[in-house]
Amino acid sequence: MFSTRRLVFLSLLVALGSVLHVVEGLLLVPLPFPGVKLGLANIVTLFALHLYGFRAGMAVATARVFLGSLLGGVFLSPGFFLALSGAVACTLIMAILLKYTSCFSLIGISMAGAVGHNLGQLLTASLILRSSAVFYYLPVLLLAGVPTGIFTGYILKSLLDRLEKTGQLRGMTSE
Amino acid sequence: MTRGDKLLAVGILLTAILAIAFPRLHSSLFPVATSSTRAVIKAQGKIVREVDLSDRGGRSIFVVNGRVGPSTLEVEGKRIRMKEANCPDKICVRQGWIENPGESIVCIPGEILIRIEGTAPLDAVTR
Repeated sequence: MFSTRRLVFLSLLVALGSVLHVVEGLLLVPLPFPGVKLGLANIVTLFALHLYGFRAGMAVATARVFLGSLLGGVFLSPGFFLALSGAVACTLIMAILLKYTSCFSLIGISMAGAVGHNLGQLLTASLILRSSAVFYYLPVLLLAGVPTGIFTGYILKSLLDRLEKTGQLRGMTSE
Repeated sequence: MTRGDKLLAVGILLTAILAIAFPRLHSSLFPVATSSTRAVIKAQGKIVREVDLSDRGGRSIFVVNGRVGPSTLEVEGKRIRMKEANCPDKICVRQGWIENPGESIVCIPGEILIRIEGTAPLDAVTR
């Protein structure tokens, strides 16, 4: 299990992720396509994955979706299942790339995560609607995933650089 | 960004662009004569209505009952749109009109799906 110190940091990340999840739901992206968003909550997931590993990242991502949906009042609605499957697929892909590849920076991993998020969501949407017609949106979501993935990856990179410079990163990773 | 990142970005973008361009290119190079298009409307997994979208300039409005209550659809000539819906995000309404075969409007909260299908002309009909 996680040490108490780590548990505190993970809880903070869950809280941060939940807030970003809700805020993101309120921001309307002026595009007539479902599922195009910045993926702000993904910054927190990748942060947890990068610092604390797969189990911590997955825990933060799923807990964030549960809490965020409860706060947003969409718990157990179709939107909740879309968010959950997107978050799980995204975390899985990012974890695999983090562990088994070395040619991607956090920006590339964040991009791949965005694509994984969209695939997971579309898969669930096609199950809910019992139709494969939703995959019609995939190319647009892929196009959107590149800039949003770069954006969130860049934010995370700047955050880590800053934490490193101020010496706070060591405090966060020590047991 | 590392080299890997750039390759990944280019790969994703190329896949997306090909996926958008290929069906269009294919249908313009090998046109399949479609006599008419129709909209198939599914709600909660079942086909509830099929609308002929042949261009007769007609305009009609009808209601489909989804998971979150009634949604209003509008047909105008060859095109169809979600006019009003009870869902919270209104993505389906903001998507506006669709008219080409393969295009679809999806309302996830309402579990409503509008998909346009082309029907190939028949050689002959026996009765």
